[in-house]
Amino acid sequence: MFLTRSEYDRGVNTFSPEGRLFQVEYAIEAIKLGSTAVGIQTSEGVVLAVEKRVTSPLLVSSSIEKIMEIDRHLGCAMSGLTPDSRTLIDHARTQSQNHEFTYNEKIKVESVAQAVCDLALRFGEGADGEESTMSRPFGVALLIAGIDEKGPQLFHTDPSGTYVQYDAKAIGSGSEGAQTELQEEYHKSLTLQSAETLSLKVLKQVMEEKLNNTNVELAAVTPEHGFKIYSEADLQTVIERL
Amino acid sequence: MSFYPYTDNGGSALAIAGEDYCLLASDTRQSGEDYKIHAGYVPKAFKLTDSCVYAGVGFSADGVALVKRVRQSIEWYRHAHEKTMSTPALAQMIATVLYSKRFFPYYVGTILGGLDENGRGVVYSFDPVGSFEAELHKAVGSGAELIQPFLDNQVNLKFLPEVERTPLPLDVALQIAKDAFTSAAERDTKTGDYLEIFIIDREGVNVERFDLKRD
Amino acid sequence: MDHFPNYWGMPPQESFDRYNIFQDKTKNNAISDPTTNTKQPIVTGTSVIAFKYKDASFGSLARYREVERLYPVGEYTVLASSGDFSDFQYVKHTLDKIMTKEYYTNDGHILGTPHIYEYLSQVMYHRRSKLNPLWNAFVVGGYHNGEGYLGYVNLLGTTFQASTITTGIGMYMASPLLRKAVEGHEDTLTEAEAVDLVEQVMRVLYYRDSQSINRYQRAKITAQGVEISPLLSAPTDWSIGKDLRGYQ
Repeated sequence: MFLTRSEYDRGVNTFSPEGRLFQVEYAIEAIKLGSTAVGIQTSEGVVLAVEKRVTSPLLVSSSIEKIMEIDRHLGCAMSGLTPDSRTLIDHARTQSQNHEFTYNEKIKVESVAQAVCDLALRFGEGADGEESTMSRPFGVALLIAGIDEKGPQLFHTDPSGTYVQYDAKAIGSGSEGAQTELQEEYHKSLTLQSAETLSLKVLKQVMEEKLNNTNVELAAVTPEHGFKIYSEADLQTVIERL
Repeated sequence: MSFYPYTDNGGSALAIAGEDYCLLASDTRQSGEDYKIHAGYVPKAFKLTDSCVYAGVGFSADGVALVKRVRQSIEWYRHAHEKTMSTPALAQMIATVLYSKRFFPYYVGTILGGLDENGRGVVYSFDPVGSFEAELHKAVGSGAELIQPFLDNQVNLKFLPEVERTPLPLDVALQIAKDAFTSAAERDTKTGDYLEIFIIDREGVNVERFDLKRD
Repeated sequence: MDHFPNYWGMPPQESFDRYNIFQDKTKNNAISDPTTNTKQPIVTGTSVIAFKYKDASFGSLARYREVERLYPVGEYTVLASSGDFSDFQYVKHTLDKIMTKEYYTNDGHILGTPHIYEYLSQVMYHRRSKLNPLWNAFVVGGYHNGEGYLGYVNLLGTTFQASTITTGIGMYMASPLLRKAVEGHEDTLTEAEAVDLVEQVMRVLYYRDSQSINRYQRAKITAQGVEISPLLSAPTDWSIGKDLRGYQ
């Protein structure tokens, strides 16, 4: 690896002769080290679930936050270098608030995904006129869930600044197995409740530890309640359905 | 002598919101200082989207600049969000644009007429610094003092004995708009020449032209 | 002793410099004073009149004996100015610059009358918005896509297009005459009639505008291009003067 890629993986904006940006590819690799996160879109809403790596019995598990609110109708789950997501989510929140201030309407889910991706590629020296706040690519992928006039939607963004819409998507270390499982289990008529159980079922299969109501986080965006993170009690009822 | 960056080019506009349509009318005279008439056909109402029309009266140069800016914003919005801006969104956006020049205002009385997301007629009116309100009918400009009470009476049935309220049909609204302007042109020297009436419904925007007093 | 040469030999009364032509040099020190903008025009030109006829044309009235206030921009456009003459010179220079740039860019795109008019309008509105206006009322006339084109823009950035346009005192005195003769007849008015009309209106303006002089130029813009006449004057008849009563 180092023999073939040396030289061209130094500068963050240097293409290799084969036309690749190694630093961006490495950033995508960083996500594969992160904890698994799952998102499922149904006609009733979108579910987000993440695994929390509770590395010590002394660790207060509720202090691990991997699902965040962007706006009342938008949430996101992350995997990878989670601190990097702060900049991205902060930007998404600002854009969402600005949109509501200027247009008196809720921003579309896709527009938020686009806003995040606009920032994702602003690393390196900064082009003419614009300043750059990041010296390297962001090492985090997001699952952005939300509801707008087009209904419930799920978007995936990665460090290359690409966003794609998914019916169901898994990211992080267990994503390969999880994605295969999602592909088998997903169908268009999934209810929100079955999506809740499916997401935890998928996580359970890829997690090393035994799944319980403190080592996973579950959230949903619904037309009725907007973005909501499940309490430990709510989580317990879902787990009991497994 | 010091430079005063504003002038009043006169002109009036009105808008009436119906159940499933909206009507916006404006004269096309551009007046100058004193008793000058610059020209008889200088439109000050413009179609912004398939469901929204704008009219700006007061300082014509600011009105033209405002439309130019708003149209550009609509285009940027379309690129960013892959949809045309709804009339309520446009209203909020225009308010922020107007307020962004709070200390060197666009000296224009603005009204928006159009349909909301549910296809109902809406009218928004703005002051020069962005204060705005959704209404069912409104008159702005040099003839507003003459037209507004007429609309209150004929559209909102104010000052009349209790009568049954029924939705205003389009042909009645059209006649009210024409009558309002022929009367205003009679008494207000800055209103006249031609009347342009925009009718906004589900099919889109249609324009009708109508003669007014030319003296 | 008065140390300002401008005042030497001038009457001491406050009334003599009512238009503030002689500026108080004590109040203008380029180093220590804040930036100041034009607050009034200095050398000015009076009315411009313009109207469309069968092939489009227009004329103007000149002051200051032989100052030309009609200026061709490109092949099919004429700019006419009333108001501050130095600002007019600046605008001529600016337009020449963009025309030259457009020419050597050589991309097949030519700035026509509507484009020049829109550009000038934006410059005028921009300058008024900086509270540093170009103190003019301009008429841009030309021939574009087989039609006559006439536009007005002034120091406030106010714009309009019409088949007859006038500026200055001509807005009061020439407008009614032109509108009566032109409006509704744009497609039938012949060149000979148009030339007559210009002369007639110029005569009225010379009779009644105290700032005017009986010298004017007439520009004609057609599909063949721009034609600007030499200095002309309208035949006048002052014989009724001796019969006028009530004036000193």
